[in-house]
Amino acid sequence: MTPVTGIDFERITLRDALDLAVLIEEEARDRYEEFADQLAAHDTPEVADFFSRMARIEERHRTELLERRRTLFGSAPSAVDRRALFDVEAPGYEAARAFMGVRQALETVLAAEVKAHTFFSEALPRVKDPELKVLFQELREEEVHHQALVKAELARCSEKPDDSEAYADDPNAQ
Amino acid sequence: MIEDLVVGLAGSGGDGVVSAGESLLAAASSQGFYAMMTKSFGSQIRGGESSCRVRLSTRKVLNPGGVLDVAVALNWEDFRRFGAELPIGPGTVLIHEAKAGPPPADLAPSGRMPREVIGVPLAELAKASAGTDRAKTTIVLGVLSGWFGVPQEALDRGLQKKFAQKGEGLLEANRKALARGISFAAEHPLAAPRALARPEASAPKLLCDGNEMCASAAIFSGCEFFGGYPITPSTEVMQILSRELPRYGGVVLQAEDEISGVGATVGASFAGKKSMTATSGPGMSLKTEMLGLASIAELPLVLLNVQRGGPSTGMPTKPEQADLFQAAFSAHGDVLRPVLAPSSVEDTFRLTVEAFNLAEKYQTPVVILSDQEIAQRKETVDPIDVSRFEVLERLRPTSEQLTGGYQRFAETPSGVSPLSHPGMQGGNYLAAGIEHDVKGAPTASGATHAAMNTKRFRKLAPLQERSDLFERQGPPDAPIALVSWGSSAGVAREAFALARARRLPVKLLIPSLLYPVAEPVYRAFFASVRAGLVLELSHQGQLYRVLRMFVDVPPGVTSFARSGAQPFRADELLERLEQQAEALR
Amino acid sequence: MNAFLAPNDYKSPLKPIWCPGCGDYGVLQALYRALSAVGRPPHEIAFISGIGCSSRIPGYTTAYGFNTLHGRALPIAQGVKLANPDLLVIVAGGDGDGFSIGGGHVPHVIRRNVDLTYLVMDNQVYGLTKGQLSPTSPRGLKTVTSPMGSLEQPINPLLTVLAYGAGFVAQATPADMPGMTALIEEAIRYPGFSFVNIQSPCITFGEEDQQLKAHKARMKPLASLGHDPANQLAALDLARAYGTELYTGVFYRNPSPPPTYDALVRQRQVELQKGEPRSRSRVLDGYLKA
Ligand SMILES: Cc1ncc(C[n+]2csc(CCOP(=O)(O)OP(=O)(O)O)c2C)c(N)n1
Ligand code: SF4
Ligand SMILES: [Mg+2]
Repeated sequence: MTPVTGIDFERITLRDALDLAVLIEEEARDRYEEFADQLAAHDTPEVADFFSRMARIEERHRTELLERRRTLFGSAPSAVDRRALFDVEAPGYEAARAFMGVRQALETVLAAEVKAHTFFSEALPRVKDPELKVLFQELREEEVHHQALVKAELARCSEKPDDSEAYADDPNAQ
Repeated sequence: MIEDLVVGLAGSGGDGVVSAGESLLAAASSQGFYAMMTKSFGSQIRGGESSCRVRLSTRKVLNPGGVLDVAVALNWEDFRRFGAELPIGPGTVLIHEAKAGPPPADLAPSGRMPREVIGVPLAELAKASAGTDRAKTTIVLGVLSGWFGVPQEALDRGLQKKFAQKGEGLLEANRKALARGISFAAEHPLAAPRALARPEASAPKLLCDGNEMCASAAIFSGCEFFGGYPITPSTEVMQILSRELPRYGGVVLQAEDEISGVGATVGASFAGKKSMTATSGPGMSLKTEMLGLASIAELPLVLLNVQRGGPSTGMPTKPEQADLFQAAFSAHGDVLRPVLAPSSVEDTFRLTVEAFNLAEKYQTPVVILSDQEIAQRKETVDPIDVSRFEVLERLRPTSEQLTGGYQRFAETPSGVSPLSHPGMQGGNYLAAGIEHDVKGAPTASGATHAAMNTKRFRKLAPLQERSDLFERQGPPDAPIALVSWGSSAGVAREAFALARARRLPVKLLIPSLLYPVAEPVYRAFFASVRAGLVLELSHQGQLYRVLRMFVDVPPGVTSFARSGAQPFRADELLERLEQQAEALR
Repeated sequence: MNAFLAPNDYKSPLKPIWCPGCGDYGVLQALYRALSAVGRPPHEIAFISGIGCSSRIPGYTTAYGFNTLHGRALPIAQGVKLANPDLLVIVAGGDGDGFSIGGGHVPHVIRRNVDLTYLVMDNQVYGLTKGQLSPTSPRGLKTVTSPMGSLEQPINPLLTVLAYGAGFVAQATPADMPGMTALIEEAIRYPGFSFVNIQSPCITFGEEDQQLKAHKARMKPLASLGHDPANQLAALDLARAYGTELYTGVFYRNPSPPPTYDALVRQRQVELQKGEPRSRSRVLDGYLKA
């Protein structure tokens, strides 16, 4: 099942592809912001901070891509909108947990980066336009780079499974 | 010549005494008499004991009357079943079906039997004149016309209305029966003749019952939605509105239960329409949770609650005033929900308009606490000049408020915040049963909760000053108080007039606003009071008890209360007032 | 018509307080997208819910929301729709809200065919009150109120709603976001009462085998089975598998939708108001006795 609906990669233009890339980052940014809010509301501030940081990283990627799009195509209207994207680079909502540890959070991000990598890998063979191919390869490599960063952070993280849940109060009835 | 005549008729449902009473009522009102009719039944759908009371007068009729001037018994068993509802005394003219035999010796509760007892061979006369003994109630109308001066032309018009469509033969037969009744009366004059005086010529009057008044006033007030579930004795309101509201662009939803009925009403109000529901005791219980929602979401809503005998199914066809506690207090949380009680059919119009106005003005559910007697008794009412009534609309946000970060529950000096509704751009908000802040966002903050409670109470504070929702009569410094509400107030008014005629130092207070208790009004009223009565039809005396919760009721003021279906009589009330006056001397 | 409204235009500043990982987050996201696709501006949408975790959803949108009473969203929504049929009215709530305490309202809204879209977030448990048995909990489920295992047969929401005669019945899961989004949009566009049972897992009190991971493995799109959504009998047959199979997609869509109740009511109002307009001030005239 493709996380992008209604887009034909054989026909997509470079402009649309850039817009799509911008939106992929935007979706990821929004999701990390939501996760940050969720965890802030659930007494897990360090992970909330971590997700906020992730949101800022995604926002940076988004602005970089947006700059490129502007330089190449100005403010010509976009043919793709957010409704076409379903969790391309954004982790699924099910990934968040109250009182999750940093390690778990890193694993969530890693899984999301892997997912994005897969998306570009699967799309690439269908892309015909050479310029576009380059862009998609670049975006895919970007994901590899991110994965490496996350893996490095994971390695610095303690091996011990996270036990914050064990200390938390029981849920409250409303 | 007499100016006031109270007639009671009882028989089995098949006899058609109620329909005879209706003919009498229609005839009298078309002649310019003031008239009132109440009906009372057993618990069967068809047949079983049934009775009615018709009071005719040249003056305004305040209540269905006490001891009957004329009693008509088609058989003794059915007549007896009504007990205190059809009391007879020495002055009563007791007319009965001759073939039922003389009245049982213990028929009068007081033991004082009527002096004038007349057996009329009703069935026999009917058979001979109309060819069927079924026409015996037409014979009754005839003798009433003959003995008490109810004009024959008017009764004849009633017969035309009733029988014309059912066949020429029937109409002719009943005309003969009517004539035969009249001639019978002429052949057997009363020992003490008493014919009704003719009323003064007047503008045509309205003839309707409390439920009809309420439905009419709802339409007048601009009601556009009704959601409800049938329950006696409120159902007529839904039936009338089902027929009428769509003609004004409104909607009636007969819901699957009371919860859904009031729920749809809350929904329609949220959608911006003036909305109403109606019910009686058991249904009120089901609606309670939704009323709380309307209170906290600050949505206007009018609920007509027609009291009947309770608890539970109780006595659905009998009057009682025992649901005041429920109307005022059935809520969780700190809730203040206005309760208005009409004290007559006519009054139902005014208070229904008032209920809509209060609901819209203060964005709150409002209960109209009527009762079976007022809701279902038919009475003549002098034409109502509706231009006297102001119709209020809810406070809606201005365009600046809608563009500048609209706050649904904004703090205002009055406590009333502008209310938007779906479709209004910029007014989007979350309505909720959960406590919320000024924007409608859910909160569990004690401070916000306290502020919101304060706001919700503050907006209703002006009700404390609404002395116009109280009827006061008599000298302001009188030491004896007579307080009553709802249908009992009609008896209180009559007893008060009698007491004043006897120069008793009494003053009268009829609250239309039962809750919140307008403390300043009572404080002023009770200032001169040393004795008195709070008259109401319930076992506990609920108004009396509610008053004592909020007001320093003078110790000499006592509750005069009894269970439903045993209406008060002006004479017994007068007696009590005399005793009180005596004690004060 | 209206300017393009993006999914985020339907997102309110109020932040959801569902447990992280709750299925309802996905439902909310799908709803933003479906609303954006339908394109009605938020102020023309009335979003009504009951009480429960799932019922918090209207507050997270920019529509006019009403978070009402437990089990009573449908009656209130019907009042809204009848009072103003021009509004888009959406109703949402939980399995307990819709099929236990509010179950009595379901047949009636369906037989009236009021044009509402009803989204039930079915997590087979009472979330808000902390994990009690719900009417859709499987037999044998151990919860705090069924510590030895439930002895009750669950209600089958799909079969029930189909049997009552609903014109649009579908099932979705946040495990298939594009599918759920499309179904919600289609339900909203269906002219008449439409129902989507959303298997929306409760991460805190739900069973392990009811979580999205399990859904992803188990779900079977009805389209892939070759099911024809116009076939009501086939829909009833497939719906019987609720609780064992996780079918997603449209079970039934009435190919020729009958007129809605709200449309009929409006039609009657128009007919009755033809001719001389009635004056509300003359309402008592009929009671005058000449
Ligand atoms: C009249 C009433 N009874 C009980 C409750 C308590 N209550 C609130 S939500 C709920 C059940 C919630 O379960 P469900 O409807 O399945 O929603 P979920 O939280 O699972 O989304 C209950 C019992 C209430 N609010 N009102
Ligand atoms: S308790 Fe369950 S249903 Fe409620 S918010 Fe948490 S996960 Fe969701
Ligand atoms: Mg649930």
